[in-house]
Amino acid sequence: MKALDIALKDMLRSLRSFFALLFMFVLPLFITGMFYFMFGNVAEDGEFNLPKTKVIVANMDAGGPKFNVDTDNIPGGKDADTMGELIVGILESDDMADLIEVSHAASPAAARAAIDNQTAQVAIIIPKNFSDQFADIDGEAVIEFYQDPTLNIGPGIIRAILNRFTDGMAGVKIAINVFMDEAEQKDQARVGEVVQRYLKISLAETEDLEKELLDVHVPASENAAAKSENFLIRMLGPIMGGMMIFYSFFTGTSAAQSILREEEERTMPRLFTTPTSQATILSGKFLYVFMMVSVQVTVLLAAARAIFGINWGEVLPVTISAIGIVISASSFGIFVNSLLKDTNQGSVIFGGLITITGMVGMINTFAMGSPNADQLGDVSLLVPQGWAVRGLTQAMRGQPINEILITLSVLLIWSAVFFIIGVWRFNKRYV
Amino acid sequence: MNNSPAIEVLNLHRSFGGNKAVQGVSFEVKQGEIFSLLGPNGAGKTTTISMLSCLLRPDEGDARVMGHSIRSDQMGVKSALGVVPQEIALYEDLTARENLNFWGKMYGLRGSALKIRVDEVLEIIGLSDRARERVGKYSGGMKRRVNIGVALLHKPKVIYMDEPTVGIDPQSRRNILDSVIALKNQGMTVLYTTHYMEESQEISDHIAIMDHGKVIASGTHEELVKLIGGQARIELTLNTNAENVIAEWKTVEGVDSVTAEEEKISALVNDSNLVLPRLFESATRHSARITSVEIREPNLESVFLHLTGRALRD
Ligand SMILES: Nc1ncnc2c1ncn2[C@@H]1O[C@H](COP(=O)(O)OP(=O)(O)O)[C@@H](O)[C@H]1O
Ligand SMILES: [Mg+2]
Repeated sequence: MKALDIALKDMLRSLRSFFALLFMFVLPLFITGMFYFMFGNVAEDGEFNLPKTKVIVANMDAGGPKFNVDTDNIPGGKDADTMGELIVGILESDDMADLIEVSHAASPAAARAAIDNQTAQVAIIIPKNFSDQFADIDGEAVIEFYQDPTLNIGPGIIRAILNRFTDGMAGVKIAINVFMDEAEQKDQARVGEVVQRYLKISLAETEDLEKELLDVHVPASENAAAKSENFLIRMLGPIMGGMMIFYSFFTGTSAAQSILREEEERTMPRLFTTPTSQATILSGKFLYVFMMVSVQVTVLLAAARAIFGINWGEVLPVTISAIGIVISASSFGIFVNSLLKDTNQGSVIFGGLITITGMVGMINTFAMGSPNADQLGDVSLLVPQGWAVRGLTQAMRGQPINEILITLSVLLIWSAVFFIIGVWRFNKRYV
Repeated sequence: MNNSPAIEVLNLHRSFGGNKAVQGVSFEVKQGEIFSLLGPNGAGKTTTISMLSCLLRPDEGDARVMGHSIRSDQMGVKSALGVVPQEIALYEDLTARENLNFWGKMYGLRGSALKIRVDEVLEIIGLSDRARERVGKYSGGMKRRVNIGVALLHKPKVIYMDEPTVGIDPQSRRNILDSVIALKNQGMTVLYTTHYMEESQEISDHIAIMDHGKVIASGTHEELVKLIGGQARIELTLNTNAENVIAEWKTVEGVDSVTAEEEKISALVNDSNLVLPRLFESATRHSARITSVEIREPNLESVFLHLTGRALRD
C-alpha cells in the first residue's frame, strides 16, 4: 500500500512536469506528425493530397477469349474487351484521377524510356498475351511494373492499386481452375462468364491474396506487401512505433532517475526516517517506473490510432508487444540508474546511451526499403530496443502469436537481467 | 516507561574515512524536555542525529529511543520518532497539503484520520490558507514550517530538529522557537541542535556542548555557566585592527582567553577590576585606543570560549 502511495506521488509529480509530458507524449507524436506532413498534406477534409504520380501504360494485350466484362463493379466504367483494357480502365477511372495521371506508350521500350528520362514515374507494361495467359489454367499472366527508384510513395500507391486488382484476378484464376476441373473441357465462352461473375464479387470486397500476377521491378522492393490500407499509414506505423519505443526507454530511464533525484532533494533519507522498510520504498519507486511507461505506451498507441489512423494489429498481439516494451524500458531505466552516482552523470547517459541504443534499435525503421535492411535489422537485435521494435512490427504485420511470444521471451530475459542487477545495486546502496 | 529517559545515548562513534566525526558521545534526554546539542559547524551534531534516527549505522555504541534500540529495533525507533532534517526535504512540485498527505501515509495514517491530522498540522504551522500552493513557491521560512509539520503528523513522542532556524528571517525564527516550546508543553520530547547559543539558552532544559565529535560539557544553562567560576566576560572595541594588541592581551596576567570577531573582541578574565587597566596599558604601548568597554554576564559563548579557547562561531 505504501509502495503504491510512493508510486502515485511520483506519477502526480511527473504529470505536473512540462518536460516529462513533452518527452512522454508530445515529442513522439510530433515527430511522427512531421513525417505525416512530409509525405502529404492533409487537406481540409482530412484526406491526403499527394502529388500526382505520372503513369505511362503500354497496353500490348491482344485479347484472348472473348469476354465482355460487366463494369458495374469495376471503377472506370468503360467497356473492356481485354484484361489489359480493364486495367487501363481502372487506372483512368475518376476515383484514381486525384492520384495518378495516365499516358499511353506505343511500345514497352517507349514506356521504359519514359522512366529513364524521367517523364513518368511509373511504367506499366501489359504483355501481348495477358488475356490469353489469364484464361489458360496453367498460364502465367504477368504485368511488368517499372518505377523511378528515387521515389517511394507515389509508385507504392500505384502498386497497391494494381495488387488489389490482381489479387482479385488470382481469385478468378482459381475459380476458373475449379470450373475447368468440373467441366473437363475448354469452353472459352463459359470462362468469360466465370470471370465476370467473379469480378463482381472480388472487386466489390477486398481480398488479401498474394500478388502472383504482378511482376514488380523496383531496386528495393522488400516491403511491397501491399495490404488493403493506405500506403502512407503503413509507412507511419513503423515510424510511430519506433518513436514510441525510443521515448519509452527515455521515460523509463528518466522515471528511474527520480531515485537519484530524491537523494539530492533529501526526501530519500527522509523516507528512511519514516517507519517504511527499504524494500517498500524501492518497490514504490520501481512501480512508479513501470506505471509511467505503461501510461505512456497506452496513451501513444491510442493517440496514434486516433490521430494518424495507425493500425497496430490485433488486440492480443499488440498487448503482448506493449507489455514487452513496458517491461524492457522500465528495467533498462532501473539498471542504468543503479550504475550512476548522481543525476549529473545521468544527463550524460540521457544524451549518449539512450540515443545510441535507441538509434540502433530503430535501424529497421530508418532502413526501410534499403537493400541491406536485413543485415541492419540483425544489428538492431543487439539492444533491447531492437527486440521491442521487432515485437511491435510482428504484431502490426499480423504474424503468428507464438512468434511474438518468442520475441517477448527474449525481452523478458533482457529485462530480468537488468532488473536483478538494478535491484541488487540499489539495495546495496542504502544498506 | 514513565520515568525512563526518552533518549539514552551510549558511547556512539562514527568515522567517515579517517575523519572521526563522532567519538564517544553519550547523553540522556528526559521525557518531555527540550534538550539541545550546541556546537559549531562540523562538531558532529548532524552525524549524531543521523545515528539516532537510524540513517547512519554507528561504528560503536548504541542508543535507545523510547526504549527501542537503534541497532536492533529500527522500526520501533522510527515509529516513535519525528525527524526534522537540517536541509528542507519536501516535494517542491507538490502543494503543502499534498506533501503532508503523502508523508502522513508514510507514517501509517489513512483515510479520515489522515485528513483530520493534516488539517491540524496546517493549523499548527500557520499555513491553512496557503495549503493549496506548491511548496516551491513558498518563502524559506514557510518551507521550514512545512518541513517541521511533516515530522508532527503521527504525533511522535520524540522529535528531532536539526538546526531548524538556519538561514531564515527573524520572524520565522521566532515562530519556530515558539512552536518548539509549544510542542514541549504538549508533552513531546525535543532533541534540538543549533550553533546559536541564544537559542539553546532560551528554550532548553538541558544542553550538551559538542566540539570535534565529543560532548565537552553538559547540564542546565546555570550548571554550564558555573563551569567558568567567577570569571567575567569583557567586550571591547579598538580604533585599529591590531592583531599584535590581541596577541599581547592573551599573555596578560588574569586573562583566560581572548577572541576577536570582526570589530568585537571578547576576553574572559578572572577579575575585571585588575585586568582592565593592564589591557589599557598594553593598548597604549601599541598606540591603539580602546573605544568601548562592556562587562557582561558570562553566557554559553563564554563557556565555549573557556572550554575550547575558540569562539562558538568560527
Ligand atoms: N556523509 C559524510 N561523509 C563524509 N564526511 C562527513 C559526512 N557527514 C559529515 N561528515 C563530516 O563529519 C564531521 C561532522 O559533521 P556534521 O555531523 O555534519 O557536523 P554538524 O552537524 O555539527 O555541523 C564534519 O567534519 C563533516 O565534514
Ligand atoms: Mg549539521
